[in-house]
Amino acid sequence: MIRGLAGLALFALAVAGGGWGHALAQVALVATWALAGLGLVLVVGQTGQLSLGHGAMLALGAYVQAGLVAAGLPALLALPVAAAAGAALGLLASLPGRRLGGLAFGMSTLAFALIVEELLVRLAPWTGGAAGQVVPAFTVGPWRLSSPVAQAALSVAVLTLAWLACRRLIGSALGRAWRASRDNEAAAMAIGVDVGAVRQAAFVAGGALGALAGALSAHWLGYLSPEQFGLGLSFELLMMVFVGGVRTPSGALLGGVVMVALPQLIAIARGALPVLGGGAAGLEVLLFGAVLVVIVLARPAGLAGDGR
Amino acid sequence: MRRLLTALIALAVQFAPPLHAAAPGVTENRIRIATIQDLSGPIAMLGAPIRDGIVMRLDEENERGGVHGRRLAIAVEDSGYDPKKAILATRRLLGSGEVFAFLGNLGTPVVMATMPLIVDAGLPHLFPFSPHQATYAPTHPLKYQLFAPYRDYMDAAVRYMLQEKGYRRVGLLYQDDDYGLEVMRGVEAGLASQGLELVERTGYKRGATDYASQIARLRAAGCDLVVLATVVRETVAAMREARKVGWAVDMLVTASGYSAQTHELGGEAVEGLYGVSVMPHPYADAAEGDLYDWIQRYRTRYDADPNVWSAMGYDVADTFIQGLRAAGRDLDAASFSAALGQLKTTPGFLGGPTYQFSPDDHLGNRRGRMARIVSGRWQLVSDYLD
Amino acid sequence: MLAQVLLSGIATGCVYGLVALSFVLVFKATETVSFMQGELLMLGAFAAVLLVEGGGWPVWLALPAAVLVLFAIGALLEGGVLRRALGQPHLTAVLLTFGLGLMLRGGVTMVPAATHQMHRLELPLAGVLSLGPLQLAGEHLAVVLATALACASLAAFFRFTRAGVALRACSEDARVAALMGISPTRMHTLAWALGAALAGFAGVLLAPVTLVHPGMGLIALKAFPAAVIGGLSSLPGALAGGVLVGVFEALTGLYLPDGAKDLAVYGLMLAVLLLFPRGLGGRGAAA
Repeated sequence: MIRGLAGLALFALAVAGGGWGHALAQVALVATWALAGLGLVLVVGQTGQLSLGHGAMLALGAYVQAGLVAAGLPALLALPVAAAAGAALGLLASLPGRRLGGLAFGMSTLAFALIVEELLVRLAPWTGGAAGQVVPAFTVGPWRLSSPVAQAALSVAVLTLAWLACRRLIGSALGRAWRASRDNEAAAMAIGVDVGAVRQAAFVAGGALGALAGALSAHWLGYLSPEQFGLGLSFELLMMVFVGGVRTPSGALLGGVVMVALPQLIAIARGALPVLGGGAAGLEVLLFGAVLVVIVLARPAGLAGDGR
Repeated sequence: MRRLLTALIALAVQFAPPLHAAAPGVTENRIRIATIQDLSGPIAMLGAPIRDGIVMRLDEENERGGVHGRRLAIAVEDSGYDPKKAILATRRLLGSGEVFAFLGNLGTPVVMATMPLIVDAGLPHLFPFSPHQATYAPTHPLKYQLFAPYRDYMDAAVRYMLQEKGYRRVGLLYQDDDYGLEVMRGVEAGLASQGLELVERTGYKRGATDYASQIARLRAAGCDLVVLATVVRETVAAMREARKVGWAVDMLVTASGYSAQTHELGGEAVEGLYGVSVMPHPYADAAEGDLYDWIQRYRTRYDADPNVWSAMGYDVADTFIQGLRAAGRDLDAASFSAALGQLKTTPGFLGGPTYQFSPDDHLGNRRGRMARIVSGRWQLVSDYLD
Repeated sequence: MLAQVLLSGIATGCVYGLVALSFVLVFKATETVSFMQGELLMLGAFAAVLLVEGGGWPVWLALPAAVLVLFAIGALLEGGVLRRALGQPHLTAVLLTFGLGLMLRGGVTMVPAATHQMHRLELPLAGVLSLGPLQLAGEHLAVVLATALACASLAAFFRFTRAGVALRACSEDARVAALMGISPTRMHTLAWALGAALAGFAGVLLAPVTLVHPGMGLIALKAFPAAVIGGLSSLPGALAGGVLVGVFEALTGLYLPDGAKDLAVYGLMLAVLLLFPRGLGGRGAAA
């Protein structure tokens, strides 16, 4: 309830600071980023694996979606294909986990993401290469979803569906196996959990969610280039879920709010208060870092965590 | 609880600007425009002087009473080269209903993400700093561009080097992104016109530190001219590496390497480097008359020397003002676009080219000049190339 | 030509190695992967530029001073922020380094002189040394010599000084070390300060090679794999990993098709991880 009110207050502030279009565009981006965050909640929060390459899932989703839509497939039908491609990529990325654990596995996902980024550059005939490609607007039948309202509505709808699916997964036997393998690998194996397979399953689900987010964001950003999916994106997503709270789906949403809305709030605040150093670039980055530090210190388990 | 909710919504409605403003950004005595720059990201080194140049030109116009009695105001947004942030900034500006046009937005991902929103809202998208063709072609009444893609400049520059200087074995060192690719296409086109091909091409990623293997490859291929699709830092590093190993090959850099920093930082090693110049660099000690005054004003105002990016920002704003003048007092997007579509600018003291638009060509200039570093400074060595 | 490129690779590898060393130093003592080493490196280079260009200091004095400044900054960050993560899950500290890195980068970006132009730090050793057919740039030679010097003094520090031995004891087993009267908090401070100083040292060495600008911290993306290849907990391994990465990169750049150079490091890391999950020099990084 309090969180809901806080969200509403934030939205009101966004409307006041920049108008409806601005506020709704933020909603669309928050929902899309939260969608990507959900994938990390499953992989990192529920299963306890380190993924430094989640950006690769978004990249594949975005490029598959753009390619299919360019080839004439309706955008709504392309979405599940993009998600399936992401799931397959997740499976591929999880393979080294059969042999590696912890940080070493995290490093392998990082290498994996870099290789995907490089492939996007090299496979220029299909991806547009380093020059990038333009993505058409998301169309459903005769409607072109180019207004912020429509984009926000679709993002929230997809997020809601994904959210419900996640809750189901987390509550299922698979979810219990995830947490068991996270909390005590040996005990999990002793009770007959195939830890390797269970971890891979999380990666498959996480990859699908990441690709969905990538597919949507491709339309919202309108232009794809491999450099957008560099390591920076993977780190940003990881930071987002940790700030929000990595163990629960609501952490992904809160993290999305912080990552997207906070820089906007800072920008608006400094427009209103010239005291904050009107022209100095970099202030936003500095304040953003400071807020992160404060959140991590005050709530190590993330905003959605229990405050321990 | 419900009262609080109502109050919040009331607050939002209160402060939200109206969804439709009559003439966005234009009032009786003021015109508001906006620009999205990179002031904190990877190309802040370009964004800051561009912003300074634009703002300076607008303020000068205001001191003279503005255009047709209207003062000019600009909102500067920092995207940090992140299209996500740029979209939100654009939405915010569009939502305010107080922007007449976007001027000189910087960075291809930013431009490509925001241009559709701006044009859909019916606002002019003017003179962005992006080499992407979509900024002027296919012709759209609201899209205008001053600077040609690198391809056009490099095609002409390579033909010049082949014809005037007789180079035959051309190699390329390129940044592995849209910029490097654009240059590669231009170089290949220029070579093809003489029935030649690249003898070697080798890339690097932005932020690379060591160019020894690239230079070794180009040298092994026996190049007599190396084209650099680099920015300042890599230009200096590549030339220093070549000179260090005793390879005295000639090099040609794109307009991105045409910067005073190239010879300030490169020193002896970059002597003799050819470059493509779109605007001449404003050297303070050789300046006279209006240019000298301008440099002094810039220094006083920003406590820094102007560079070629400041000059480009200034030129962008100047062209915008010439368009406003031509559009007359009765100003909206349609009348402005109609006026701009027939505009031919008069080049100012900065030494830039003439920009000329027509109703079906919205790219103002396609031609650059050749320059060369002689005795530690850029000197123009050719007229505008066709 | 091969020898020439190899030489360059070794020099670049030494810088990777130094940054990798700073990763490992911090990781061993605090079990934290620090995401701000790149920013600290950049800060070190800027500190030196500030002292030389702004303060008019001679270079030979400015370089050690910049390293000392970074040592102090490391201690300050630890005392102000990172210490609060002691006893928390490891990820807390990792996230803190992330936030601190952003703050450092934002802070530097706020200085117009830092972002609007690049700076150059001239080492007294500039020039080219000819060894037969080989040309060795002064700044590369300086990098190799300084790296050797830094490693030797680091080794001596860990072997012969009280603080060094205590730090080593602490990273072997903090609880036993505490029982022996070693203050874990002071060792924590020392580790972060040393890590920052090493990154800053790498920064001033890199400055003449790549020029000084806010993005120079990106090199940490190559140094981190070097640390992993060396096995995250081995200091000599980190240095060897750095040189290996530098040489490997140079060779792939010379012989393999375009684009392979940038992937080579990560391919190498993946291969090493799969074949030797603990890294080449490690005894316990993985698991």
